[in-house]
Amino acid sequence: MATAEVRFQPERIDARRVHAERRPAAVRLLEAERSEEIFPLLLEEIIALGFPRALAVDINFDSGEIAPAAALKWPRHNLERFVSALWTSEHQLVQVLHTARPAILQKSNLHNRPIYIHPIVYANRNLCWEADRIRTGACLAVQNFRKEKKIRLEEQVCATCEMRAYAAVLVVEVPRNVSQAAIAELAELIELANRYLSRLFKVEHYYNRMRDMEITIAQMGTVMQSMADPVILTDTQHRVMMQNRAAERFFKVPDEMTEGLVRAVELNNLLFSAALSSMLVSGTDSHRDLTLVDAIEGEEMLFEAVSAPTYGLDGIQIGTVTVMRDVTDLRRADQELRTNYERLREAEEVVRQDRDRLNLIIENVGDPIVVCDREARIVLVDPLAHELFGAPHEAPRNAAQFKNQTQLNAYISNFTYSFTERESAPLKLYNPALRQEIEYEIRSGKIFDEAGQVVYTVSVLRDLTALKKVEQLKVERRMLEIEKFAATGRLAATIAHEVNNPMEAIKNAIYLLAGSIPETASPVYNILKSETERVARIVRQMLGLYRNTEQVKAANVNIIIEDTVLLLSRQLQRANVEVETDLGVLPDAWIAADQIRQVLSNLVINSRDAMPNGGRLIIRSRHVPNPDGLRGWIRILIADTGSGIPPELVRSIFEPFVTTKGEKGTGLGLWIVKGIIQNHGGRLSVKSKVGGGTVFKIDLPVVKL
Amino acid sequence: MSRDGKYRVLVVDDESSVLITYRLILEQQGYAVTACRTSSEAIAAVEQEDFDALLCDYSLEEQHTGFEVITAARKRHPELPAALLTGYATLETVDEAQLKSIQVMFKPIEIEEFLATTSKMLRRNHESDAKANREETSEPQSTSEGGGRRDRGARHRSSTGPVKR
Repeated sequence: MATAEVRFQPERIDARRVHAERRPAAVRLLEAERSEEIFPLLLEEIIALGFPRALAVDINFDSGEIAPAAALKWPRHNLERFVSALWTSEHQLVQVLHTARPAILQKSNLHNRPIYIHPIVYANRNLCWEADRIRTGACLAVQNFRKEKKIRLEEQVCATCEMRAYAAVLVVEVPRNVSQAAIAELAELIELANRYLSRLFKVEHYYNRMRDMEITIAQMGTVMQSMADPVILTDTQHRVMMQNRAAERFFKVPDEMTEGLVRAVELNNLLFSAALSSMLVSGTDSHRDLTLVDAIEGEEMLFEAVSAPTYGLDGIQIGTVTVMRDVTDLRRADQELRTNYERLREAEEVVRQDRDRLNLIIENVGDPIVVCDREARIVLVDPLAHELFGAPHEAPRNAAQFKNQTQLNAYISNFTYSFTERESAPLKLYNPALRQEIEYEIRSGKIFDEAGQVVYTVSVLRDLTALKKVEQLKVERRMLEIEKFAATGRLAATIAHEVNNPMEAIKNAIYLLAGSIPETASPVYNILKSETERVARIVRQMLGLYRNTEQVKAANVNIIIEDTVLLLSRQLQRANVEVETDLGVLPDAWIAADQIRQVLSNLVINSRDAMPNGGRLIIRSRHVPNPDGLRGWIRILIADTGSGIPPELVRSIFEPFVTTKGEKGTGLGLWIVKGIIQNHGGRLSVKSKVGGGTVFKIDLPVVKL
Repeated sequence: MSRDGKYRVLVVDDESSVLITYRLILEQQGYAVTACRTSSEAIAAVEQEDFDALLCDYSLEEQHTGFEVITAARKRHPELPAALLTGYATLETVDEAQLKSIQVMFKPIEIEEFLATTSKMLRRNHESDAKANREETSEPQSTSEGGGRRDRGARHRSSTGPVKR
């Protein structure tokens, strides 16, 4: 707060002296319109009283410096002695000043003559306007006037109007024997001048205060205008008293009046007024959301309005200040943020559930699972894999784990840089629980990053021992079946063999009798002959079973096919049958080779018989692996271009004693074929079209053991 | 070959009823037939006489086989045509027979096949004879049942029967 300063203009003092007229001192002092004019006038009046020299010393409250402000007839060189500071307590002037009472110094180091020293301070008999208006006694001028307490310069600020007081010291050279009356007259003059000075000072103070306030108001106005948010000052009737440019956009009727704009502004004013009313009802300092229409853009905008009442000095409300914050984007962003957050949380929940589920699966899958990074380092294992390989990122804990890790690493490294996305391979690992090396089947897949690089490989290990045991059992049971079949065959063959020789004799005997049968007995003879031949054929068929004494062992079906074709090649050639074999690469199958040979030869002979005028016979073999890579089938197709099987017979073709060859067939061939295939755990099917040929399909199981 | 120009055939089978019928059928065809029931008997026969063909059961008495008889006979006549008659035969047996140029016939034997095989064996061994017409005329001419070895000489040499060079 700016405070009036006592300003002196020594050069103008002389000018005033020129037309100084001798008028009463009080009147002359009244001529001073500015505070700085008082001291020169006062000094002149002191000289006029008959004192030889006078000096006014000013005290600067800011710096504490004491220096002569005006002098009359005072020797110039002597002035320096009156330069001092408030805190130099040994200085005689300062000592007098602190007493705040006039004093006469007969002898001093300040002047070579006796001097009268009269301190003056801002004082007034009456309260100043401000103190008067608010009815307080705390007016510095009055307090100083009454001198109720010792004047402390640092306290010389008015509690009411914040005016900084002034202080000064008048120094007058007096005669050694100066009279009391003269001193009294001098003191009275000085006090009179001080009263005038105080009054002028106060006026200047108020003027300065006004100027300060104007500046402050201008600054506040600038601040208000420069705010991007609308700021509005309303009176108690909610009429707009003041608003900044941002607010004008919404509440001031624009120069170019269009109906739309006017309506928008009117609406805004209405909305704002309503909001203010409700806010003021609800509390002293409140805020609420307010939707306004941008009069220029025509857009709806959302504001948060904060209102605060403003009070006059007397404590009575004079209006309301409302600051509005454009929260359109903020709310939108907030809404979006909220939505995104919700979405994120949902997604997170889904991911979490997925992960939990996956973990659950991994933990309960029952097979060891290993995840490796692209350097084939283990990064994740399930409890089972943990037993085999140890914990991820850890050195193996024992020799078995080290060995297993080495095995795995070799495999995974190879797989990672292979071109296949999936792979399965056998892997021998040491199982610490079983304390032995076990063959696992490892199945691996790759996980790629966005650049298509392998980041992880996931491998599932399957302990094949259990599976193999089951398959082994199956094979053993099948072998037993085959063995049983062979035993049955042997029995049948033994019987057939026993029957065979008498049969041979009977047949020969019938032949020998051919010429000596009477005409009448000829039909009987023919029955005897044909039925005997039929028995002979059955016996021959049964004898075939006798050969099936061979052990079940791993054999290649292709070799059996080639053998059979070679064995029957002459017959087929004679029947004008063209044979075409198309043999794929086959794994060995556990079979009784002799039985399979019989199957093939039965089927080939059937085909031959179905093509009395010749034709084509195609034998094809293929390996059909199961997706598990462990099991699979060997498929044999035997196709001919023969007469085909009538549809009504297709169903029963594998039943015993069913034949398409009439008298020539025994009806046992396909039944035996079926029995053998079934005993081998295989499948047999037929497709046929009368006149279009027949295809037999045989599937023999193969197991990788 | 017998003196009367008939082909001499030795038949061996341990079942006498079978042996007899074979002999009768072959004799009906005009062959000079010698029939033996055991391998020892047959080996003795081949050591004493010459035969044009050998028809021999595979399994003989006491684990003896037809191979033994054929081997014995071929000591004298290495090119002697021979056939095994058998109810069953393992692959090895068939292989061995093929290796030794021995025909295999499975019992029960169709008589037409039996006779065709026999005559083919004899003809092949006497290809130089160029008896092209013999096959056509090799139908049984005589149905007389002379039976036995004794009849061999009695059988007349028919113009259509097996003819000796």
